Amino acid sequence: MNYDVIIIGSGIVGASIARELSKYKLRIAVLDKASELPSGASRANSSMIHGGFDDKPGSMKARLCVPGNKKWHKLKDELDVHLDECGSYVCAFNDEEIKHLELLLKQGKANGDPGIEIITGDELRKHEPNVSPEIVAALWSPDAAIINNFEAVNAMIESAKINGAELFLETEAISLLFDDRKNIRGVMTSKGEFKAPVVINAGGVHSGEISSWAGDKSFRIIPTKGEYILLDRSTKGLIHSFLFSCPSKAGKGITVLQTSEGNMMSGPTASEQEDPEDKTTTSEGLAEVIKGARRLVPKFPVNMSITTFAGVRANTDTGDFAISVLRTPRGFVNVAGIKSPGFTSAPAIAEYIVEAMREELSDRIKFEPNDKFIPERRNIPRFLYLSMDERKKLAKENSSYAQIVCRCETVTEGQVVEAIRRGARTITAVKMMTRAGTGRCQGGFCCPRVAEILSRELNIPLDEITRHGGKSKLLVGKTKEFLLEKYAKGAGQNV
Amino acid sequence: MSDSKKIDVLIIGAGPAGVAAGIGARKEGAERVVVLERDWDLGGILQQCIHPGFGLRTFKEELTGPEYMHRFIQQAYDAGVEFHTNTMVFQIDQDTNSVWTMNKERGIECLNPGAIVLTMGCRERPLGAIHIPGTRPAGIYTAGTARRFVNMEGYMPGKRAVILGSDNIGLIMARRMIWEGAEVEGVYEVRSWPGGLRQNIAQCLDDYGIPFHLKTTVTKIHGKDRLEGVTVAEVDDSMIPIKGTERFVECDTLLLAIGLIPENELSRMAGVEIHKVTGGPVVNDLLQTSNPAIFAAGNVVIVYDIVDNVSDEGLIAGVNAARYAMGKISADIKRIPVIGGENVQLFSPQYVTGETDTTIFMRVTHPIESACRVFAEPGIYSQRLRYARPGEMNEVKIKAEQIKALGELKEIMIDIQPL
Amino acid sequence: MSERKFICVSCPLGCGLTVTLDDNDNILKVEGNTCPRGESYARSEVKDPRRVFASTVRVRGGKLPVCPIRSKTPAPKGKLFEIARAVAELEIDAPVKIGQVLLHNVCGTDVDIVASRDLAAI
Repeated sequence: MNYDVIIIGSGIVGASIARELSKYKLRIAVLDKASELPSGASRANSSMIHGGFDDKPGSMKARLCVPGNKKWHKLKDELDVHLDECGSYVCAFNDEEIKHLELLLKQGKANGDPGIEIITGDELRKHEPNVSPEIVAALWSPDAAIINNFEAVNAMIESAKINGAELFLETEAISLLFDDRKNIRGVMTSKGEFKAPVVINAGGVHSGEISSWAGDKSFRIIPTKGEYILLDRSTKGLIHSFLFSCPSKAGKGITVLQTSEGNMMSGPTASEQEDPEDKTTTSEGLAEVIKGARRLVPKFPVNMSITTFAGVRANTDTGDFAISVLRTPRGFVNVAGIKSPGFTSAPAIAEYIVEAMREELSDRIKFEPNDKFIPERRNIPRFLYLSMDERKKLAKENSSYAQIVCRCETVTEGQVVEAIRRGARTITAVKMMTRAGTGRCQGGFCCPRVAEILSRELNIPLDEITRHGGKSKLLVGKTKEFLLEKYAKGAGQNV
Repeated sequence: MSDSKKIDVLIIGAGPAGVAAGIGARKEGAERVVVLERDWDLGGILQQCIHPGFGLRTFKEELTGPEYMHRFIQQAYDAGVEFHTNTMVFQIDQDTNSVWTMNKERGIECLNPGAIVLTMGCRERPLGAIHIPGTRPAGIYTAGTARRFVNMEGYMPGKRAVILGSDNIGLIMARRMIWEGAEVEGVYEVRSWPGGLRQNIAQCLDDYGIPFHLKTTVTKIHGKDRLEGVTVAEVDDSMIPIKGTERFVECDTLLLAIGLIPENELSRMAGVEIHKVTGGPVVNDLLQTSNPAIFAAGNVVIVYDIVDNVSDEGLIAGVNAARYAMGKISADIKRIPVIGGENVQLFSPQYVTGETDTTIFMRVTHPIESACRVFAEPGIYSQRLRYARPGEMNEVKIKAEQIKALGELKEIMIDIQPL
Repeated sequence: MSERKFICVSCPLGCGLTVTLDDNDNILKVEGNTCPRGESYARSEVKDPRRVFASTVRVRGGKLPVCPIRSKTPAPKGKLFEIARAVAELEIDAPVKIGQVLLHNVCGTDVDIVASRDLAAI
């Protein structure tokens, strides 16, 4: 298979680059080893669109965060993604922490975070009455926002696909292919060779390893796990925005937020580990989250918890993003070590790197504008948020919108079918694209129903349906066949 | 459905409570009684409960879930109850009591009945409700989800199961898995007493030599794609895992039987007051909620131990909803609060009107394994018991005339204490 | 003389029963039961333990791929897995009526297997 550009990784960074590149007449292949998107750090994070005060002026992070933030406020309509433009507060509990706020204020102003200011604890409590009475001051960043990261990644890659990019799931990059002159020729994957003169490494927590294939070892990835607790949507309104704490001896900065869909959430911890794939939650980590959450919001209702999860972020030993077009091998582009504020920065990273590629790689690929580029993309209808008239209309046009599949999040069969039409193949993919299974019963009710719809729409047996690809089959066979097989093996049993 | 005659009593959910409510409403004289069911089939969760053990009190014989419902559904049809399947209620408006339904053929409809009975039942507590560290592979199901796969779809969720929690549904599924040829490594219960009935421990676990571990829980989940095993550990009196007791158990399936929660999304939308402890609507002994036009019965109110009680309560709610729709329940009835004593975990109803004889159902917080007394003060009821266990409900019976005789009563206190 | 202890499974009470037997396994007395059902349960549990078997059977052309079944009467406890296998081998056609006998005298136990619900054809 021949392409102009191969992007390894379809997290928010890979997807944003794919969309940016689809503004040119290029053959683009996006590879991801997962069975559904998002899967890596883009799935399990704080869903924060940062204001831009947190990064040292002069760093790549500082340079790309504020423009990324601005782009998201525009992209939300273009891509039809939920973005709660709620702002954020960094909370200070004492004088020392107020000094930290002042530093952040200075940084934020230097980075161009508009409207940023320090307010008193009492002013904060006027907006957020449930925060700790011990908070003495807060840094308010009005442009900060909370995004539906599941939707955002799918929207971004869908938009790229609408404009010609191709997505290959369950396709793991194994090594790079080089030509005689040791320049990039493509990628060897678990599904065979993909050829292209340009390869972009957007491999997230694996980006260090991929970079080393190209011989660039200028940075090292330190996989850093962050654990979270997600609460039931009935906690909506306990807080309204995103609350940071100052990093201190007490903790590494647990946040409390209300997701774009109204669930209260808290996390992350930050523990460095060897294994980039270890997403296990730990009792120590969850205890740390609860402690940190209660420090900010004393009545953080842990008993309303519906799930806990962990993500692994790609911290670098340099502390900054590792974004560059390599001189050698020619054709290799690093967009590596992207962690917070990575989601925020992604659209700006994409614009930045595509610009750099146009300057440096025009001998390898031609950047002819795609005059048919369509910026808009519509989300699968969100039944929960529609007006009654819109619901009636939808149900009339397509009766499968008159059948609820996920009762916690009011997701209809029509939405599930549409997600499958857009490429969902697993229970988790449907969940990412429709929110079926994200509610308080965590798929107890809808999982069998979604599995049936997947089985019916894809015409595959129910016991072939997986939770998240690979060997994650939901079922192990048909009841009676299972029993007879067992007896055939002579495994009879007496009471 | 909406264009034809006005609905007097609209019942949401055709499980045991809803079907009985339909019968009650028709027998009381309500003209048009409609039961809505979101599934294609009537009967609710009992259609999946294919084991025997239902209806001993009502029918004097042990029926399976589908058999029990079959009899009630027949009675309901005979009584002239109107059923609509594949019809889901997704919204109830607070001010108007308008009920919004959806159905593939009829689309979205709005109904305005004379009275509403909430009979949506309950749901299982999911894994997220208890923080178990580890991975999130396939193979972790609530026992009820697994039961649906096995009994309704004909598929096996796994070959070797561990069951966490000892609610009846978990015990029943242990035997069910064995009968389908799977292995059950053991049942683990974090508390020092079983969640389910002793009868079920005997006939579902002991009969098949399935180990039952009290004060033991799952402390870690292993496996990336499919479950590969769990770590189990004993816990101390504060339910904290004891270091050094951890043990790895190989399994491909973890079934959760860690409790049931009344399902009250619709009740909340309808603005009825929800009880903090039961998780269900606050009701008086007419099973009327804080919204006088809305009644509630069965596991949506409080999770019952046996289905006969659910049917009995459904009948009462149906009768009173019919009376309300016919203007026979006055707006200024008495509301004497019932207060639970120190060993009362939860109870229902929470108010007594004195309009009717009533039974207050309750569960104890801690088991009492010796002679004890269930009572209602002031001097309303007292009954000696041989024991009291959280897995089995206890009852306080109150006669309307007792309440009338007591005149102005501030509250009724119920409790169960050792003798 | 010997003693055997059971939990009565006749109803949700789950009484703890103690049966005293003589040296020839004749029942001398039953204690711990709170009703006559308990006594007869204890007697049968000693002499001929039985359980109701409940499972599903495969259905061709039904609204569901399986239909719940039960043993009409309690079946010998020692034969339950043999019965499970016999039921697993069976495949019936929809429609199914509740109470319909699907297997007569299953595994020579003199017990019938019946459908425990109505199941329409598609």
